[in-house]
This record gives sequence, structure tokens and C-alpha cells, in this order.
Amino acid sequence: MRPPRELTPPVVRPFRQAGPGGRTVYVVHPGALAAQVYRGLADALPEGDGLTVLDLSGVAEYAQAALNGGRAATTVQDLADGLAAHLEPEQGPYTLAGWSFGGVLAHAMTRSLPAGRLPGSLVLLDSIAPVDAYKQPDDALEPALLLGWFAMYLGAKRDRAVGVDPAALAGRGTDEGLPLVLDAAVAAGALAADTPLPGLRKLYDTYVDGLLRNNRLTAPYRPGPAPLPLVLVKAERGLLPEDASLGWESLAARGLTVRPCPGDHYTMLARPDALAVLAPLLHAA
Amino acid sequence: MAAVTAREAEDWLIGKIAHRLGVADDEVSREVYFDELDLDSTEALILAGEMENWLGFELSTTTLWYHPTVKDLAAYIAEESSQRAAAA
Repeated sequence: MRPPRELTPPVVRPFRQAGPGGRTVYVVHPGALAAQVYRGLADALPEGDGLTVLDLSGVAEYAQAALNGGRAATTVQDLADGLAAHLEPEQGPYTLAGWSFGGVLAHAMTRSLPAGRLPGSLVLLDSIAPVDAYKQPDDALEPALLLGWFAMYLGAKRDRAVGVDPAALAGRGTDEGLPLVLDAAVAAGALAADTPLPGLRKLYDTYVDGLLRNNRLTAPYRPGPAPLPLVLVKAERGLLPEDASLGWESLAARGLTVRPCPGDHYTMLARPDALAVLAPLLHAA
Repeated sequence: MAAVTAREAEDWLIGKIAHRLGVADDEVSREVYFDELDLDSTEALILAGEMENWLGFELSTTTLWYHPTVKDLAAYIAEESSQRAAAA
């Protein structure tokens, strides 16, 4: 008998060590994509910079919630405090960033760090601010919107763009819309031709439960103003592509800079043209 | 629904795994550990959804952890299925 595999991976995942006196970039990662997606970003950073991912997949009460109906027995601030404890004591400059819901957690982390340990700014990678105007009740999340995001996610997982016409999804429920996503994913080579619809449904339900988990964690959370400048990187085809600042201005007491970036919400973490935008921003933050 | 036997569950799982690996069914061992199959999380969830659809009930997320081989999982499924059939 060999021991069973690990149920949860480690939270702290160093992808590259900083050189002597070099900067360490910490990115808070909420899962959905495997943490390995940051390999390219680690390589794209300037020589001497390090990259460490703080991976929520390693926090059982958070990660398991996507598999158990989307209810996590924790809070945004408790998660953030747990992550802040993983920041190494000062060994040189550091950058704090968070992708997607990871940006909400990274922002919460800055509220629990002493002023002397704050980085120069906080980099938010296509994160939606946890403010009332951007909070949605669960049933306000339209299937057509979720199916479109799911297609984007599938494409990023398989490195194949899954093109589903938003007009074709508009007004459809999950049962009618999911077969369109399946057809598009098979046509793009992102899924095997004989992928059964009930199998894809399980993947979709788990994806949506992950979103609902984040939505429900955000609902009771009352964020305060950020104690440092914010830099928001918006993907060209992000979660809310038409929105200018994703709600962060009301939390940006020390200023907000918005930078565009190629790619969609998921591919922005791996496309070389997106990394060419992200790497210098993270180095300078 | 009639209870699924351990043999039926084994055959179902081995058929799916053999198909994915592109080998004959008899080349897949009942003792194989699922995490040796190099299934990524997407494939694992798709397989779980297909299996739940076949069984007609959901499996808990820790099932594969506690029953990490075809043989163990099939035995668990048979037991669970027979309890559900008896309760129905």
C-alpha cells in the first residue's frame, strides 16, 4: 500500500526565487486554473525578481466549497489574514497582486498588514471590487453570462479558443445553452468529440459553484479604503469588458490606475503579449 | 433502479479508462490508482458527471480519495447502490 495522495496542495507555491535584494511578486490565486498557469509569468519577470503564488486551492474550507455546493464556512477577512501570515518576513521589496477574486483577498490583506510592511501598490488582475454596486444576488447571474464565462474558462484550460456567439446564448437557460458550449468546445478541439453532456454538466456546475462561493463570501463583506495606490489591469475580454474600473474607484483612497491587457479573463495569465504588459507592471509596483 | 454490482461498476470504469488511454479493456488493471492515469481535474469531473448520470446518484468529493483504485471504487459503488436500492 502506498499513502493516499494529498487532498489539498500547499498554499505557498514558489515559482522563482528572487536574487539577492531582488523583488518577490506574490500573486493571490483563487483556483479555477491550476497554479502552474503562472510559470510563464515567473519566466517573464525581470532577472532577479521572484514569483510566489498564494494558492487558495490549498485552503480546504475554500477549495472544497466549489465541490460541495458553493458554500464556504469562512470569511473574506479570515482568508486574507491566513494568506497574510504566509508573506515572508522582509527580505527585500515585494509586490502584492491578486487575480480575479484573489484581488479582493489581496486588498483585504493590505488592511491587516502593518503600515511598515505595505508594498508600494496593489495590482488587481481583472478583479471585480467587493462593493455594493457590483454585488449580485445569486439568481441575478444570468445563465447566458455564466455560460459565456464557462466557454472562456474551458478554452483557457485547453489552450484553444472556444467561440460561442453571445447572441446564440442570450435568453437561453442552462439546459438549452450548455449543448451549444459543448458543440463549440468539441469543434475547437478543447473537448473530446464523445464528451457526454452529463459529464460537461458536472464540470459546469462545479465551475458555477466556485463563482457562487465567491459571490456569497463577498455579499456580507464590508471593505474599507485601500491604504495604498491601486493598479487595475483589465483584460480586453474580461468578466465585464464594458466597465471602466470594475468598481474599485470607491476603495481607491490613494489613487487608481487602470491598464488594459490583451486576452480574456483567463488567458491574460499566460499569453505572451499579456505577460509583456504584466511583468513590468508587477516589477514596478 | 436495480443495484449496480461491483463487477458492473468495474467494467464500466475500465471501459471508460481504456477508451481514454486508447487501449483494450483487458490492458487496464483493477488495481490501477486513478492518480496514475494522468487525468486532469477537467477530465476527472467530466468522468464523475458521466458516472453519476449512469448511477443515478451523486458521489461525494472525497470518494476517490478514500477509494483510489478501480477495484476499491467499484466495491464502494456497489455497496452504496445496494443501500439506495433497498431504501427505494
